[in-house]
Amino acid sequence: MNAITDTAPEVDPVTLQVIRGSFETIAEEMGHVLYRMSFSSIIRESQDLGAGLFDAQFNTLCESESTPMHIGSIPGYLRGIAETLEDGEWYEGDVVVHNHPYHGASHTPDLAIVVPVFHEGRLVGFAGNTAHHVDIGAATPGLIIDVPDVYAEGMLLAGVKLYRKGRPNTAMWTFIRRNSRAGAQLVSDLEAQVASARLGAKRFAELIGTYGEDVVFGAARQLMDYSERMTRQRIAEIPDGEYAAEGWLDDDGRNRGRQLKVKVTVRVAGDEVEVDLAGSAEQTPTAYNVPFEGSTKVAAYAAFRKLLLDAATSEARVPSNEGSFRPIRVSAPLGSIFNPRSPASAEARFTQCNRMIDLIIRALAPVLPETVIAGSSASISFAAYSGLRPSGAYWVFLEVNEGAYGGRPRSDGPDSIDNLMANTRNNPLEDLAMHIPMICDRYELRDDMPPGAGRYRGGIGVVKSQRVLTDAFITHESERHTEAPWGIFGGHEGAVGKCLVYNAARPEEVTEMPSKFSGLEVKAGDVMAYYSPNGGGYGDPLERPEMTVLEDVLDGFCTVGHARAAYGVVVDLDTETVDMGATNALRDRMRDAR
Amino acid sequence: MARIGVDVGGTNTDLVLETAAGVFYHKVPTTLKNQSIGVVEGVQRICEMAGIPASEVETIVHGTTTATNITIENNGSDCGMITSEGFRDILHIGRHKRPHNFSLHFDVPWQSRPLVKRRNRIAVAERIVPPTGEIATPLDEQAVRAACALFRRRGIDSVVIGFMFAFLNDAHERRAREIVQEEMPGAYVTLASEVANVMREYERFSTAAMNSYVGPKTAFYLRDLEARLREAGVQSRLRIIQSNGGVSTVGACARRPVRILMSGPAGGVIGGASEGEMAGTGNIITVDIGGTSADISTIPGHQIKMMNPRDTFVSGHPVLTPMIDLVTIGAGGGSVAHIDAAGGFHVGPRSAGSEPGPACYGRGGTEPTVTDAQIVLGRLDPDMALGGDLALDAGLARRAVEEKIARPLGLTVTEAALGIIRIINSSMALAIRSNSVARGIDPRQFSIMPFGGAGPLHGVALAEAVSARDVLVPVAPGITAAVGLLKTDLQYEHTEAVIIELAGAGPAALARINGAAGALREKVARELDGDGIPREAQRIEILAECRYHGQGFELRAAMPDGPVTAANVAAIAESFHDRHHQDYGYSYRDAPVELITLRAIGTAAARRIAIPAIPATDGSSPDRALLFVRPTTFDDGRTLETPRYDRAKLLAGDVVPGPAILVQHDATTLVPPGYLAETLAHGNTRIRRAGQDQ
Repeated sequence: MNAITDTAPEVDPVTLQVIRGSFETIAEEMGHVLYRMSFSSIIRESQDLGAGLFDAQFNTLCESESTPMHIGSIPGYLRGIAETLEDGEWYEGDVVVHNHPYHGASHTPDLAIVVPVFHEGRLVGFAGNTAHHVDIGAATPGLIIDVPDVYAEGMLLAGVKLYRKGRPNTAMWTFIRRNSRAGAQLVSDLEAQVASARLGAKRFAELIGTYGEDVVFGAARQLMDYSERMTRQRIAEIPDGEYAAEGWLDDDGRNRGRQLKVKVTVRVAGDEVEVDLAGSAEQTPTAYNVPFEGSTKVAAYAAFRKLLLDAATSEARVPSNEGSFRPIRVSAPLGSIFNPRSPASAEARFTQCNRMIDLIIRALAPVLPETVIAGSSASISFAAYSGLRPSGAYWVFLEVNEGAYGGRPRSDGPDSIDNLMANTRNNPLEDLAMHIPMICDRYELRDDMPPGAGRYRGGIGVVKSQRVLTDAFITHESERHTEAPWGIFGGHEGAVGKCLVYNAARPEEVTEMPSKFSGLEVKAGDVMAYYSPNGGGYGDPLERPEMTVLEDVLDGFCTVGHARAAYGVVVDLDTETVDMGATNALRDRMRDAR
Repeated sequence: MARIGVDVGGTNTDLVLETAAGVFYHKVPTTLKNQSIGVVEGVQRICEMAGIPASEVETIVHGTTTATNITIENNGSDCGMITSEGFRDILHIGRHKRPHNFSLHFDVPWQSRPLVKRRNRIAVAERIVPPTGEIATPLDEQAVRAACALFRRRGIDSVVIGFMFAFLNDAHERRAREIVQEEMPGAYVTLASEVANVMREYERFSTAAMNSYVGPKTAFYLRDLEARLREAGVQSRLRIIQSNGGVSTVGACARRPVRILMSGPAGGVIGGASEGEMAGTGNIITVDIGGTSADISTIPGHQIKMMNPRDTFVSGHPVLTPMIDLVTIGAGGGSVAHIDAAGGFHVGPRSAGSEPGPACYGRGGTEPTVTDAQIVLGRLDPDMALGGDLALDAGLARRAVEEKIARPLGLTVTEAALGIIRIINSSMALAIRSNSVARGIDPRQFSIMPFGGAGPLHGVALAEAVSARDVLVPVAPGITAAVGLLKTDLQYEHTEAVIIELAGAGPAALARINGAAGALREKVARELDGDGIPREAQRIEILAECRYHGQGFELRAAMPDGPVTAANVAAIAESFHDRHHQDYGYSYRDAPVELITLRAIGTAAARRIAIPAIPATDGSSPDRALLFVRPTTFDDGRTLETPRYDRAKLLAGDVVPGPAILVQHDATTLVPPGYLAETLAHGNTRIRRAGQDQ
């Protein structure tokens, strides 16, 4: 056991900052090595990864600022590893790989690599990371939606030692390489994860060597208490009460037209808060479920971190650790979409998490009007394109498409940007086309539908048209084709997303796709055009300054017609001016008509 | 013949003049509105000080923050952009990643402060296809002309041309420029394939847009400065230091101002490197501490390192241009100490700036800063700042530390001041580690070189924190950056995308590599020709930027001497494997290596400033330099009677034992107990632990 006990000495405030800085530098360095070394674009370009250090009780000491869905998820993996660890114990030189969604993993493609850290012969903590892998041999290449159970997700790895006492488990490495459509990438990227975790373990040991075990873990405990204190102070500022909101997801990827309810109840009492997901849909028969430990809880914690400890507006940055989770309780009935029973598949879990966060924000709108924002896309577009090269080898490409934010109390919703729980980087289109038989035909702000009008408008979604140059398969995990992001405090609603498939030679013969589909066979020259939802507006559109509306029209964020209909602003495009007389009259008429 | 270095900072413009008669230093206030006014005044004044006519000045080397300030103040040109149909919003979407993970109220700089407004980004039909660069759709020339008409109507005179896949074939970009020049004579035009001829559309377009955004104003500034110098009778060549540390001409910088965005801090790194050479110390870490920030750079074996071009950002926008590898953190003399709502003790990154400035300035500042803490601890003498020109109020410093830090934390004022210093030193030490240890560099082999007026107060503490070997204090810490300007070489860089898997490279691929290398070599040679550098004095190096096939990040590998052949091509891959292992602690020896970009760096040595040696000690006591003795508190909490020495009166070979403070006009050096400060041949100082080998 390490020294995190109540009797540990109090670490002085200066040493505390020094150790905090060291923790953060180590986590960043681990993330940096991982994405720079790796081969698959989902890790190296999108940076869909997380890395950090943990104590022997699985508390997070530090985590890299990579993508939020990974932040806070690794302790779940560590608990799952403890349940399943080969040999039942850790040895120096061990390296474990783990991805089992019913043993704490976030979802199966996010493989964790964990290295134990020993001090004077005792286990004192862990260095670990998670990264999203291109293909782990699931039923369909890259991503899955319409599958019967968790066993269709591909390799399930639980507490498996890739190295035992420093010696590689070559049988396991060979097994992994042979059971993926992208085996070379998978193995190389795991090697990058191992290099990153070992580096973290080395730095952790050095830190303990410099300051001593008591001081390092004492500092870690104090930093957790600090995060907890910050979070509790903010929660206490919310009036006590029960706040609820609900929305509908499109479908489960198989049973078309059957919407799935998401119900969020937020109970605030003093400096604690509970997120209750009771009333949400039953678990689905497809992969469209959310692992409770590794994803549902992580997303709920993230919602409050965004709401209460906003990194852009808080003067003090709160360290990334368990402390901020302690005052938050998350519950979801077993057997529901947010807490499925084994062996339900639970790989496609992102959009439910994002909608849950969107609804937590909505639920708190009446009591936090200056903090909440209007409805965001709260979706994701996760596309897996794949096909065969002339050699017979697979090519697999995973792409994350962005969304848009709702209008905000003091600013417009950002356009075409990763939304809420997502924060990856896009894959440069030129880089993609040099390596994969695909080419992008269009990557722009969508202009077929306006964003939600408001004093502050919603963000504008993206349109991305990807064309395959060979016959291919596409699996697409997305949402919000049926329920548009809401407007708030008088703002108008945004626009739903859509997904079109057509052949480049016959662009008029369009097939409109559902938001989720699996293993669609397409022909060379076929294009998938994805339009992400536009955010809702915040506040009364008639209060948006005329000149701001003019700027929007000039920039094509808004048409002349929409400026008139939604904002009551009359724009002369030839002279690039506003007709103020006509505008005032029109706005008066619109107010009177309410 | 004389040369002048002029470094323009946020507060002061520092000048150094070198003639046969000696070296002269001068400092004037920066004229913020137009830096050239202060520069011209300073040049005239320093010539008077040296007793030479301005006409004797042969070269002026200038470090400027003009281009950087345009990006900070967000007042660049209204630009137009002509781009590929279907890709109008590459600059608006960026890499679609938010600046913060946990925030709802974040700002997106490339959307809220775009380099080119969407209304002025005009997409035209054209298409170049990978991987060959063949033209699938010809350029719609009418559409280009129509865009020009719109730009004219909107009064735009700065135009960016950026097409998808132009790194494979720039024919459409070049043709579009011809049309723009016909339609908009005199417009400032930037081709993306010229400023950054590499793959990755957003970063390339952003670099080009930044060039056009800062271009007209920067070009105006440089030409205006040149004209004002002429008017003042200064006929000298004007050279500008670039972000990569090389100097270039006014003409070249006016065309490619994107290369001088980091002109400001570059001089300091060069100055530090040459101080290292002068002291015979190859491995140094420079720490240039100003009022609001500190610039830190690691220089191993006298070699200044360049940033990976994937990591170069300016004001939130990616800019692919060679920059010295340095980290800037918000830690300086003006950094504010404060306690947050949950009791966290922070110093910086917010700075009190020069208005109101630290509490001790007496300009209404009530928050304690690092400078105030130094005064409380007796490390800065309030009556000695800038040789006594700047009077500081120790009472105000003490009150600020007491009210804002000591009382809330239940500490004594001295403890609180020590805490402020420890936290700021810790921030700097972490930044030093991120720029050294994090890259596999062992600071125990390095000397810390602190400069900027307050830098040498922190030198020993930083060396202790990162376990550096010792501390080297430059001759004139307040103007090390200006001196650095007279130590730089001419330098030009060009790149070309050459995407070839090395193991499978046949004769055609090798010919492509050699052809591109030859063309790049010729390109930089012609630029050096233009500066009047004879070919035999030109040094041209070609680097191969490689990665494992399928990776996303390149590392620089060495190219063989002479042409690449089937026999020596493997040496490039070997060099890459080694570099990969060095940087990441792991290499994939069996994986295929891919060449992505060839880079040519052409340099020509400039004459270096010669810092004169000072007389050697005759063995007499250094007490000849003693000013007075006052109590001073050190990091271990002890308060000791500490002698102050006039640094200018110390002789080569003098060894002053700590505790001591070395004072000069614009800098203060702290020598804690247990350390020895030895004056070196040029008046520079090495501080080492007593008993440590030299």
